[in-house]
Amino acid sequence: MKRISIKILAIVLITFFLWSCTERIQVEVDSSFTRLVVEGSVTTDTTSHWIRLSTSSDYFLNQKAPAVKNATITIDDGEKVHTLAESDTMPGHYSTSSDYFGIPGKIYTLRIRDLDIDGDGVMEEYTASSELRPVNPVDSIKIRPFDAFGNFGYEIQVYAWDSPERDWYAFKAIRNGKLLTDTLTELWVQNDEFFNGNYTYGITSQFLSLDKPDEVLEVGDTVTFEINGITEDYYNYVIEAQSQIYPQTPLFGGPPANIRTNFDNNAIGFFVAYSLDRSSAIATADIVFPPR
Amino acid sequence: MRPLPYIFTFLLSFVILQFAFPIEETGLRYTISGHVKDESTGEELIGAAVIADELGKGTVSNVYGFYSLSLQPGLYNITFSYIGYEDLTRAVNLNQDLVINIELSENILELAEVTISAEGPRAHIKKPEMGVSKLQIKSIRRIPTLMGEVDVIKAIQLLPGVQASSEGASGFSVRGGNPDQNLILLDEATVYNASHLMGFFSVFNNDAVKDVKLYKGDIPAEYGGRLSSLLDVRMKDGNMKKFSGSGGIGTISSRLTLEGPIIKDRTSFLIAGRRTYADIFLPFAKDEDVRNSSLYFYDLNAKVNHIFNEKNRLFVSVYMGRDVFENVFARMAFGNQTYTLRWNHLFSGRLFSNFTLLHSRYDYELGTPEGEANSFLWNSGMKDYGAKADLNYFITPEHTLKFGLISTFHDFQPGSAKGLGEQSLFTEFKMPSNYALENGVYVSAESEVGERWNFKYGIRYSSFHNVGPATVYNYDENYLPLDSTVYSSGEFFNYFGGLEPRLAMSFMLNEKSSLKASYSRTRQYIHLAQNSTAGTPLDIWFPSSPNVNPQVSDQASVGYFRTFWGDRLEASVETYYKAMSNSIDFRDHAQLLMNQYMEGELRIGESNSYGLELLLRKNSGKLSGWISYTLSKTERIVPEINNGNPYAAPYDKPHDFAIVLNYEINKRIWVSGNWVYSTGLPVTFPTGRFEYMGNIAPVYSNRNAYRMPDYHRLDLSVSLSAKDKPGRKWGWDLNLSVYNAYARKNAWTINFVQDETNPSVTHAEMTYLFSAIPALTFNFHF
Repeated sequence: MKRISIKILAIVLITFFLWSCTERIQVEVDSSFTRLVVEGSVTTDTTSHWIRLSTSSDYFLNQKAPAVKNATITIDDGEKVHTLAESDTMPGHYSTSSDYFGIPGKIYTLRIRDLDIDGDGVMEEYTASSELRPVNPVDSIKIRPFDAFGNFGYEIQVYAWDSPERDWYAFKAIRNGKLLTDTLTELWVQNDEFFNGNYTYGITSQFLSLDKPDEVLEVGDTVTFEINGITEDYYNYVIEAQSQIYPQTPLFGGPPANIRTNFDNNAIGFFVAYSLDRSSAIATADIVFPPR
Repeated sequence: MRPLPYIFTFLLSFVILQFAFPIEETGLRYTISGHVKDESTGEELIGAAVIADELGKGTVSNVYGFYSLSLQPGLYNITFSYIGYEDLTRAVNLNQDLVINIELSENILELAEVTISAEGPRAHIKKPEMGVSKLQIKSIRRIPTLMGEVDVIKAIQLLPGVQASSEGASGFSVRGGNPDQNLILLDEATVYNASHLMGFFSVFNNDAVKDVKLYKGDIPAEYGGRLSSLLDVRMKDGNMKKFSGSGGIGTISSRLTLEGPIIKDRTSFLIAGRRTYADIFLPFAKDEDVRNSSLYFYDLNAKVNHIFNEKNRLFVSVYMGRDVFENVFARMAFGNQTYTLRWNHLFSGRLFSNFTLLHSRYDYELGTPEGEANSFLWNSGMKDYGAKADLNYFITPEHTLKFGLISTFHDFQPGSAKGLGEQSLFTEFKMPSNYALENGVYVSAESEVGERWNFKYGIRYSSFHNVGPATVYNYDENYLPLDSTVYSSGEFFNYFGGLEPRLAMSFMLNEKSSLKASYSRTRQYIHLAQNSTAGTPLDIWFPSSPNVNPQVSDQASVGYFRTFWGDRLEASVETYYKAMSNSIDFRDHAQLLMNQYMEGELRIGESNSYGLELLLRKNSGKLSGWISYTLSKTERIVPEINNGNPYAAPYDKPHDFAIVLNYEINKRIWVSGNWVYSTGLPVTFPTGRFEYMGNIAPVYSNRNAYRMPDYHRLDLSVSLSAKDKPGRKWGWDLNLSVYNAYARKNAWTINFVQDETNPSVTHAEMTYLFSAIPALTFNFHF
């Protein structure tokens, strides 16, 4: 509710900041040392799970982040240690075998070895761990069109029970099997602080916008909602990362600050394990906006 | 409650009395006392000079227009003067106590001219007062405005050592302090959020304001509870002579003030209202949802006062203001209310007293329409109930004594939220309330010693008690909540207190120049959880507690004051050093709203600030105004922030320059302009970046290591008023203002964004709020 409130306040204020303008400017900033960046997850799906390694760079590098190759990566679930294979086609990507899946309740530890990021000739080792938390299933979803302040799109409304435990969720939207919410800023994370143990009664949990071409629905499309049971630490990571990526104003938020990580040794990024459930609905003629 | 410190202060007051009341000066004296008023309205004049010509000594009227002068028997010519008014001299044969109420008439010749300072230039040299700025409402009205709204707070932001917290904001920082370190009083009641419309306008309707005084150095011992400054705003009392009114129609708001006698010379009232109509234009919008939105604020000031007799007078003042934003998704409203009941009582011609009952409140609510799964209503607020007594004892023209006490009960409701309607998902959630009692007792004296020395010395003892019911969380060394302690209703469970010495002196080098020095200690027991520079109406106040120590500031300053050019120009150079302990900052990514563990988000450190302030001011004549320059530095050290290294405080601006001028072309037309220049505020920029899930995220190095671009802006205005015809009872004027006349693009915020076509490319992008903004205002009075 806190975050919804801030968003609401921001929407309200937009009416007032109509006359503000933006303009590109030149800013000189210093360099900073190179860090290992890790992105990756283990889920309850049986599939190849990816880990991506790259490095941080100067702010105005203006190229794709440099990939990190030749690392040895393992995932340890407390019983078995699984070694990942480096991709030949996608530099910096490492994957598990395609029959790999996570089990709720286990703690997964990612180990990265045989790297010398700081260039001192000594190999470093990086680790991060994440618990794989369970998630309650989604009963059903509904798609509802919306039209507000000249913005058109769809809301995905979700019917589900929140568990009596403390929960942290991530919400994703998929259209005809293709992930729509494929960036960190499109991911919706939520905790149950204000509705613990309640039924959700069709709470809006993702948005599709007609401004994004891949989110324009056609009659007969399958829209899938994916709920992830994530850890509190990953929830905070996403909140912190989003607040640093979204535009900031003197009104909201504190001073800029570094985003947390669950890695040691100055590495950044996050390794997360989560459980998931999905529910789908078909876009019917009565809700789909006519083509523009 | 611990009585000892109170007793100590009380005893100390006698020691001060001894010093203030030297034996040889007593002897037979009679007292002349009374009120100094404006002849046409009956409004009391604050700070009018009352001088016994034969002695060259005198006094000034206090905030209620009361003066008292005790002299040895004899024949005297007593001159009453107030800038912009005709002097008046009365011959007095002082052989008994006398009451002389004086009405001064406005100086017709100078009527159109602006006078910035009410007390003559010499008073400014002599008074043992530093870092004090008094602005007359008349001169404030001549400063160019943003969207036509004359604004007290925008005017004080042009003074040395004072700056806006962000572009166009009515939050202000005094000598590097935070905006919550300013005590803002409206008729003695605290105003907790002085902003409207996200800070672009302040809550003070200039038509209802009589007097504005800002203390940024030695805050008088009568006041306490904030570290950096006191902004004392006094409402008009209401015309005692005749019914009159004034008002204006502006670009975004209209105002109307009515005032007049209920019983002539005994009872009068004032009622002033203002409402914006930014939303009047919304129905013309193309989008239906914009058409159905509303966005406005209003202010209502009301005051009644009654003179029972020469010895007793009662004032009731009320302020109410509210901002409302509403659209199809959400509704937000916030506002202040203040209520003051004051009783002026004269125990004798020498002992003036004022007893006050106070109530002030601030609250906000935020919610969404009912009937949805995410419908909710969230509100938060705080209330103060206070009582105070202030006594002024006019011993001799050389010595005056002030003493009194104040007690305030604070009630904080940090927030509660609940779902609306059966469909709502949300459980009711209420943050624990907080209650506290804040007390202050003070005594202070002003003494003139010999021809050259003037002293003001006082001491205040302040105390703070947390009062149950309360739930206090205990934190471990990592600021994680361990457990909680519950206190029952009415239980006093935590105590802070301490002495606050306030000292100031002036030494007259000659008739035209003086040296001054001052030292003051202030303590602040309640704080604002504001983590952004401009703040929002949702920021909440929270009390000191077992986990939060009060902030303490020690400030010392020295200055040189003089007048030039036959007193037409006055100049001052002041330097200050301020050391503050228990300064509040917050952990990275702090959650300050709806967080019962908010105290665990605080990170406490120390700050210091020092600076040099120059002011050159011309108070009268066709050309009036001032030039101010401030060179300053404010740093903070918090062990857990910036690796424990010092960093620039959020409002640190090394250079700050302002020039404010008004030129009278003729009796009907004046033009004015101001130009401000300052270093950009400190800011944290990324020094590195990384990719994660398709986004580019920043890596930062040091807190506040960079600066926003320099800020500068020119504002202009011109005013034309109606021809003054004898006998005509009404008048008007038309004012055209242009804010940011040369359309400087001042960065309000700088963001780092990904390129839309090539996501690997990042740009720095600045947002500016205002281009050149013209505004036309029509004012009238009758």
